[in-house]
Amino acid sequence: MSAARRGRVLPYLLLSPLVVFIGALSFVPTADTAVEAFFRVMPLDPPNRFIGLGNFRALFANPIVTISWVNTAAYVVIGVTASVVLGTAIAVALKQRFRLRGVVLALVILPWALPAVVEAVIWSWIYNPTVGVMNSALHSAHVIGGYHVWLGLNRWLTILLIEIVQIWQITPLSAIIILAALQSVPLDLYEAARVDGAGPVQSFLRISLPMIRPALAVCAVEALVLSLNIFDQVYILNGIAPLGSSVMLQTYVTTFENLNFGGGYALSLLVTLATAVLSLAVLALVYRRPEAA
Amino acid sequence: MKNLGTVSRRTGALLLSAGLAVLAAACGSSSSGSSAASGSSGSSSSITVAVAYPAPPKALLAQFTAQTGIKVTWVNIGWDDLQTKIAAAAAANTYFADAADVDWSKVGEYQKTGWFYPLNSYFNVASLKSDMPQLNTFVSNNELMGMPFDSSFLVTTVNTKDFAKAGITTMPTTLAGFTAALKKVGAANGMASPLDIHFATAEGLSTCWYQMTAAFGGQVLTAQDTPAFTSPSSPGYQAMAWMVNAYKSGLVPKATINESDYQGFTTEMARNRVAAEMCDYSGSVASIYNVPSTSSVVNDTEYIPTPGVTGLGQNVANPDGIGIPKTAKNVAGAVKFITWFTNTENQATWAGLKGANNVVSTFPLPARLSSFNLMGNIAQAGQLSTILQAHAQAPFPNGAPPWYVQFSASVQTNIHEAAAGQETVQQAVNAIAAQVNQLKSAG
Amino acid sequence: MAAAQEERTARAVTRVAAGPAGRALSRKPARLLGRIVAIVVILLWSLFPIYWALNTSLTTLSGADSIPAHYFPSPLVSTSYRAVLGIGGAGNGISGEFGRSLLNSVIEAGLAMIVTVVIAVLAAYAFARLQFRFKRVIFVSVLATLLLPAYATLIPLYRIMASLSLVNTYLAVVLVYVSGFLPLAIWILYNYFNTIPRELEEAAFVDGASPMKALLRVIIPVAMPGIAAAAIITFLLGWAQFLFPLILTTNLATQPVTVIVAALNQQRIVPFTLLMACGVIAAAVPGVLALALNRYLIQGITAGAVK
Repeated sequence: MSAARRGRVLPYLLLSPLVVFIGALSFVPTADTAVEAFFRVMPLDPPNRFIGLGNFRALFANPIVTISWVNTAAYVVIGVTASVVLGTAIAVALKQRFRLRGVVLALVILPWALPAVVEAVIWSWIYNPTVGVMNSALHSAHVIGGYHVWLGLNRWLTILLIEIVQIWQITPLSAIIILAALQSVPLDLYEAARVDGAGPVQSFLRISLPMIRPALAVCAVEALVLSLNIFDQVYILNGIAPLGSSVMLQTYVTTFENLNFGGGYALSLLVTLATAVLSLAVLALVYRRPEAA
Repeated sequence: MKNLGTVSRRTGALLLSAGLAVLAAACGSSSSGSSAASGSSGSSSSITVAVAYPAPPKALLAQFTAQTGIKVTWVNIGWDDLQTKIAAAAAANTYFADAADVDWSKVGEYQKTGWFYPLNSYFNVASLKSDMPQLNTFVSNNELMGMPFDSSFLVTTVNTKDFAKAGITTMPTTLAGFTAALKKVGAANGMASPLDIHFATAEGLSTCWYQMTAAFGGQVLTAQDTPAFTSPSSPGYQAMAWMVNAYKSGLVPKATINESDYQGFTTEMARNRVAAEMCDYSGSVASIYNVPSTSSVVNDTEYIPTPGVTGLGQNVANPDGIGIPKTAKNVAGAVKFITWFTNTENQATWAGLKGANNVVSTFPLPARLSSFNLMGNIAQAGQLSTILQAHAQAPFPNGAPPWYVQFSASVQTNIHEAAAGQETVQQAVNAIAAQVNQLKSAG
Repeated sequence: MAAAQEERTARAVTRVAAGPAGRALSRKPARLLGRIVAIVVILLWSLFPIYWALNTSLTTLSGADSIPAHYFPSPLVSTSYRAVLGIGGAGNGISGEFGRSLLNSVIEAGLAMIVTVVIAVLAAYAFARLQFRFKRVIFVSVLATLLLPAYATLIPLYRIMASLSLVNTYLAVVLVYVSGFLPLAIWILYNYFNTIPRELEEAAFVDGASPMKALLRVIIPVAMPGIAAAAIITFLLGWAQFLFPLILTTNLATQPVTVIVAALNQQRIVPFTLLMACGVIAAAVPGVLALALNRYLIQGITAGAVK
């Protein structure tokens, strides 16, 4: 083969493993989900047959599924807001160099690097209603009168506490990204603001924030995808109870415990669409080219 | 820019050697693991066993291997998870295990779906019946779907020391009397909530409802598998109302809302935070409460006949069985294992005949009456066998229906929600009844 | 002229060294105290749960479930770790289970890392350096899969693997992992390759090397930090997987440590002390890696997120 021919074929050769993987294990399954969502697929009730919108109607008629949608919306709102805000706060606190900053950063990343399941097991122990340390600490500090049951009774409290565990894991990601973004803001902008008499808060709001918008968008989308998909924490902390159930948990229950694969596909399709739409919306809202100061 | 020279080369070497190590490990374990080949026991010299109990002591399993040449791989997953896996594997026609758990509640389902082999050609039902009182539970349409390997049933357990502190030495035989006694016991021992009932959304909650219904003198389904709990005066309805009220009134600790059966036993009863259990499993005393390293109530607990409405109530039997999935690779080996696991001497051994070192942890009672004869009064066997013979009954008059899984899911979820205050008992009852009717009409 | 230039440079250097705010590090005590408090709070928030797991794992059950809680292990014992690691023949079979699941995690995350990085390097090089038709389409499509939630592929992947009789094999798990991690690895490497000056390859071309040779001999050695970043992130992601292996693995032959820890959490009688010891060990592998290689980790995370 001539060098020119090789040159033209080379990119496709390099890409072929990628295309095979993504094609076979990402695109084909996604297409499969989209199609089979309209079929009745239940191993206990063969054969598979087309039922149009039947799965979707059954899903909307199921109150537990509706609960899980609302819960998941709450997980997303809390998760995205808190992780981006906290991440920004951490980034601002660590912006100025100091001697052990590298060590601090390494420790801050730690929660992100550990498996969510292990973290959930640890937090479930912290939240333990009979002997957990959260009860113990709050009680010793006289914040609460007696030991409380934190999970499983009050819906919003359960959702909040489960989401805190996820926030604990994903905030380091936002912190690192926003920190890097803050560090790439040109110094003269701050100089000019200082000369104009702006204080630190003002220069943060007027200069830093607009300049790091792209990074904020990236963090928000990351947090969105992760909180929309929340499973591990819900499963470990609250089991399959409907109270704090997420859509992902419902998909798992529908498919693998009720063996209703068609219902699982339908739910999956809906969430995939929701993710795509919401991600694009967040990107459109938050991501704007930073203007020159 | 970073120093690309030395750092990058060293990192590269590190990554490369790590990668080679991983590859070596993967290839090395493919013989005992499964890399390209499917399943882990293709040869006739090994089987995989998947039941929801911890493994028998290694030494005894080694004896089995020595006798038969068959190596046993034990899978230990929690009950709820295990049922999911069995169903998912069967539905996908995938190998999962050679010998797997057949719960009393699954017999109807497995017979209908054909997921398990009928064992009639390996075990003679007619001759075994007299030695195994619960064998019938595992027969559906004349097919033996599994061999029972224990005589598990639900019991009431009390901490006699705590009760004695309140001056109670004779146990009440009615629920009203028992509740009153519990309040006294709680006061005398500083326990705000002296009773444990587990309310997590798991199978244990469903089984507990069947047990409380038995205490109230009835069953939850009729012989035609229709709801028997819809009328407020029915035992099932009253039992549910009693359970939910026990939670709301504080007789049961609030923490139980998310505790599964064993979490309740080990966290509440074994640590002396409660003085009684109403949905305990036969066997807990020997395997949980009398284990010094994790229990603070050693030798203080005892099984009592279940209090009922006007006198003693019944105890629901929930025996475990072991069967052979159709996707098993080593059927002959599985048969040998089942025979060994359920023989008279071993059944007694799992329950404590040869001492605490040779038990199967949390094992209740042997499935064979002949094993009882070997055991005398070890681990309160005598007490339990009295209860077994006098008060045990099957949960459903017609055996577990094929749609048991969906039924139980509805039961667990609704009772949990009722206790947590998200719906009333009436709403829970309606929801479960509606589900039963839907399942029956779907056939 | 030169002196003025030098003076300006010196001032600029001082400014940079002092911090992006452009001032010398503030010596005002209130500010300093505020910053120290903030950092202490951040560290407490990040590390307390890990500390708590350690605390619980190093004591007896009575010490762990006391009311009120003990903030230091008292008594301090190592029985839980001995049980989990099978030292001294103690334990209730946990050590065999746990040890095997650790090995499975290493193999699954490790193999996924290797395969992903190899494929991603090739692909990222093509995207970064070569021109060809459909480049934009393929690139965007690959990255779009980053937005695909697990749902979209979970059930079909399970059924595909089941129909190929690959359930409960390393192969199935690794294949699924690789397909999931490729987009991120490519993104990281693509951005990293773009920071490598083209002169390096051009020098190689002048010497008569083919693009492949240039990739292997020139680009890859120089891109090692980026490759390390992609590798470690992929490994951490693989180690943390739960839902996919929960479905794709059915017994100890392939179950990773995350599935086992979750199972132990539900199981019959596993005291909290033992459970926390398992958690600590399961977290120690990614934790130590993340701490040791945090520089590459940070580089990987920020690649492309910040232009």
